[in-house]
Amino acid sequence: MIRRRPLLSVFLLLLAGLVLQAWLNRLHLAAFPGIIGAYTAKEYCSCRYVSGNPAEYCAAYVEQYVPISTFHDDAERKRVTASGMGSSQTAAWLGPRQGCQLQEQADPL
Amino acid sequence: MPLALLRRTVLAGCLLAAGPLAAETWPIPEWSSQPAAASPAVQALDDYAFAPRDDAARTGVRSDALLVIRDGVIVHERYAAPTTAQTPHLTWSISKSLFASVLGVAYGEGHFKLDDAVAQHYPPFAAHPDVKMGHLLNWASGLAWQEDYEYAPLKSSVVAMLYTRGRGDMAGFTAGHALDAIPGTRFRYSSGDSNVLGASLKSMVGEQAYADYPWTALFEPLGIASAVWERDASGTFVASSYAYMTARDLARVGLLMQRDGRWGERQLLPQSWVAFNRTPFANYRPDPQQPGDAVPGGQWWLNATLEGASKPWPDVPDDAFAALGHWGQALYVLPAQKLVVVRYADDRDASYNHNELLKRVLAAYGEQP
Repeated sequence: MIRRRPLLSVFLLLLAGLVLQAWLNRLHLAAFPGIIGAYTAKEYCSCRYVSGNPAEYCAAYVEQYVPISTFHDDAERKRVTASGMGSSQTAAWLGPRQGCQLQEQADPL
Repeated sequence: MPLALLRRTVLAGCLLAAGPLAAETWPIPEWSSQPAAASPAVQALDDYAFAPRDDAARTGVRSDALLVIRDGVIVHERYAAPTTAQTPHLTWSISKSLFASVLGVAYGEGHFKLDDAVAQHYPPFAAHPDVKMGHLLNWASGLAWQEDYEYAPLKSSVVAMLYTRGRGDMAGFTAGHALDAIPGTRFRYSSGDSNVLGASLKSMVGEQAYADYPWTALFEPLGIASAVWERDASGTFVASSYAYMTARDLARVGLLMQRDGRWGERQLLPQSWVAFNRTPFANYRPDPQQPGDAVPGGQWWLNATLEGASKPWPDVPDDAFAALGHWGQALYVLPAQKLVVVRYADDRDASYNHNELLKRVLAAYGEQP
């Protein structure tokens, strides 16, 4: 098999390696898409409602290389929702000493 | 007798006559401010800290605030919009040192000892019975923790802790890591270790008192009114990262440390606690590739000279110590010069240099008035 189809063999070997890597890192990979939405929602919420910086400044402050697909700042309730890489995350301002915290469930957009 | 010596002798005589307390200035209730006259050294400091700012590319030194306190009096204060004197700025990892000061009060109240097993105060650490409180304070738990973030987000323990898998219970997430070194033998900077400290305070003072403890223990006695401390979903303070306060309020903690844990006539932190904060972790080995890295003490960073290595910040006295955070946040204490420096920033690259800033602070304000 290896001698007859060297390219296919190498490809299958690489694929097996990738699958193994993905399995070994499954916890990290499953959590990965949540990072950008959570980072954006949490740090924007704190920038805006804890530090009291202007909305425009906070939008630039949280900007990363990975783009955000949806962003919503519910200024009245001080709840910030951001989506990226297919995952939505919400951070909410809880009080003057508590500041902002990521919520278990994202608010519907 | 030379004039300078004569002046010092007369001054010393006056101070002795007035008594030590009368000679001290405290920000009680507010800071007094005596901005220095313009001079080339003062200009050189501002030129470095507030170089023309590139907000589009986010490169270079990007200070948000610079505050210099000399012997309890503001001598230099400048902000870059939108940060002002009223902005509770994110301190990032300065939070770790602040939480160590909160713990210092608990230590003084007899709530724990450095060689207590962590598990005694935080039951999930029953899985790691040999880890002591002192090990966490030296970032030497021995846990297999990955602090890197921006360059290795997939496997970064700290990103997972703050934003994904760990965010509901950050200390519990940390406790779930395996050991890959004997506790107390290896320094590995870890926000997880700091958040376990955050959780361990809960059982020491009780759930009820815990939520207000940073305020009752530290912030209120110091007159800090701007502090915000965010918690995870389990109610544990994010001791590693999420304390906010104004530059002027952070400087109060600096002055407390500069004066050995004393605030006015009250010894708020035991002197032995401050001494521990300022003692290099015994098993720390400096990395020859990173000569500018400050030396870890007890949740504070030291400009200590260790055997076989040069001082991390060569132009700064070796008794200097600091609380340091992501993106250039810093609280520096230079006890011999009676200087406290707060710098808030939004540095997105490695341009900023601690030694360079402090060298210029010393040139402008290092001489006693």
